[in-house]
Amino acid sequence: MEGGADAFGSSTAPLAWHDFLERMRQPSAAEFVKSIKGFIMTFSNREPDPERDSAAVQEFLENMEGAFRAHTPWAGSSEEELESAGEGLEKYVMTKLYNRVFASVPEDVKSDEELFEKISLLQQFIHPENLDIKPEYQNETSWLLAQKELQKINMYKAPRDKLACILNCCKVINNLLMNASHMSHDNPPGADEFLPVLIYVTIKANPPQLHSNLLYIQRYRCQSRLVSEAQYFFTNLLSAESFIWNIEAESLSMDERDFQKKMDLARERLLGLSVSSENQENQTNLDVGEHRSQALKASGNSDVNLHLKDHVQGPVQDMKRESDVSSKSVERVQSISDLEKKGATELVKDDDLSKIFQEYPFLFARAGDLTVADVDNLLNSYKQLVLKYVALSKGMGVAPETPLVQSKQTAPDLQISEEPENVKNVVNSCDSTEESSKTHEDIKNEIPDSEVRNISTQQVAVDPSGDQKTLKDESSDQPEHA
Amino acid sequence: MGCSSSLPANSTGGLGNINNENSATDSKNLKVKLVLLGDSGVGKSCIVLRFVRGQFDPTSKVTIGASFLSQTLALEDSTTVKFEIWDTAGQERYAALAPLYYRGAGAAIVVYDITSAESFNKAQYWVKELQRHGSQDMIMALVGNKADLHEKRTVSSQEAQEHADMNNMFFVETSAKTADNINQLFEEIAKRLPRPTPLS
Repeated sequence: MEGGADAFGSSTAPLAWHDFLERMRQPSAAEFVKSIKGFIMTFSNREPDPERDSAAVQEFLENMEGAFRAHTPWAGSSEEELESAGEGLEKYVMTKLYNRVFASVPEDVKSDEELFEKISLLQQFIHPENLDIKPEYQNETSWLLAQKELQKINMYKAPRDKLACILNCCKVINNLLMNASHMSHDNPPGADEFLPVLIYVTIKANPPQLHSNLLYIQRYRCQSRLVSEAQYFFTNLLSAESFIWNIEAESLSMDERDFQKKMDLARERLLGLSVSSENQENQTNLDVGEHRSQALKASGNSDVNLHLKDHVQGPVQDMKRESDVSSKSVERVQSISDLEKKGATELVKDDDLSKIFQEYPFLFARAGDLTVADVDNLLNSYKQLVLKYVALSKGMGVAPETPLVQSKQTAPDLQISEEPENVKNVVNSCDSTEESSKTHEDIKNEIPDSEVRNISTQQVAVDPSGDQKTLKDESSDQPEHA
Repeated sequence: MGCSSSLPANSTGGLGNINNENSATDSKNLKVKLVLLGDSGVGKSCIVLRFVRGQFDPTSKVTIGASFLSQTLALEDSTTVKFEIWDTAGQERYAALAPLYYRGAGAAIVVYDITSAESFNKAQYWVKELQRHGSQDMIMALVGNKADLHEKRTVSSQEAQEHADMNNMFFVETSAKTADNINQLFEEIAKRLPRPTPLS
């Protein structure tokens, strides 16, 4: 079987995974189980070295798959069955090694942080036009769907599952492009249309640990299966990453000074440095925020975006000047709680209170409203918030006070309260995966039942092959039996 | 300007029983990665779609999108060649990304639009880039597309032919709209591919 669009078909269904575990528990598989466990053990007492680790895994997978062919419980199996055994093996081994090999060296962690920060800045001011996305293909609301697929990438440990998130994202984009080209009777969309949208979606999604995820897939996805169509779309995301790393004024057709100004403003906003005790400036900031959220709502309408651009550009000069002044006055200003009280009083006076909070979608959400996909978002927002708060405190020269700690205490509530299954599942699957990768003890035993149970919970909660199927049905009537 | 008008009649036709599932490359069944380069708007994806749709291949699958397509071509000497066609974004700002795509490619098609001198300049740039950084034995074709718009031609075929000869490429003018020379283009590439020496 070749690795095309159908490489993510039947072989990856939950059933195939259970089949793999089932066969591994047969007595005739004892030798296999022993070598798999032995292989995983070799990782536990040596330092991470991505190149050596990757080569070792690739070699092991290849050898084992070869061995499967010749021995019970796989002897005489069809190519398809062998393929799914290979997938099962890869998933098992990599789930076990995940914590040991994912983002395991400081360089990778650092790159993740740098890339995440750069994207956090870019996403605040980039527009589809900056990337040559033609107006007839601009559809920010629908792109949210593609962003969500990409943001799921950290919910999985197996390379194949992570890759599936990327392919799903690409499928959504392609479907949208196809529809748009039908509507405008334009040529069918090719790479000229696809890549810019993928880059835009990647910037807007800012998927967690993008750099490490790409390296992980490259290193640990079995080479013979990272081919053909999967390889093409994976390469597109690699090239999106490369493009983003190298973004400068010219790559976005922006004026150098304008670009720097926007990056600076974005940085200030991200770190919350633009917040000052000056009432008037507070107003300006809220204004910007408001327009931004409106623009987001009406996304797809480029008029609004242009409108937003003007607004963002406007106050930059003023804020720069004023922040100089205010930084001097910071030393003698009030404590954080004083500021907080002052701000709260201002807020209460504000007529458009609800509008101000439009930007924070989770503020009024109840746990029951949350979906699995929100967890990533929520965590990102939380991190940004903490960063902002701590940086702000630091900038003011005072020690952070405790209010944020409380949010920690509310977390257990989330678990206990009667909330819809999807939230619970996430919690469950997090617990179980942690457990399954932590205990090296169980490696010594037979693959235990609990293992199967753990992994099956995960499957139910978050199985990308399910999504894949839906999408596949939507996108095309694939003549699988042809 | 659409390229998806009527289906072409001059299909050389794949055989009905081509076994696409067999990805192993042997002397009779070749597989090649082909990369498409050229300015945006010259019709790169149209050429491929015309090629893919014009073939009768019951095993070809509807894929994720038109930027990646695969198609198997049966030649007269009873070999088959499976093309895996990688499209690239032609806009200037993405030029630096091209090496990620043409790495490992066995064939490349550099496309320009015969009505646009600028796109021909761009094509020359790509040819130079491939000569410098592409693999040595890559089969390269220079393609002037939109040949149906000959009354608006700004790039002479002679000039293009000379450029192709100089760079050891073969040259053809195509029309994705009328399907002119589309199959010939891919057949020619298929014929030029190095055949692996059969193991004895």
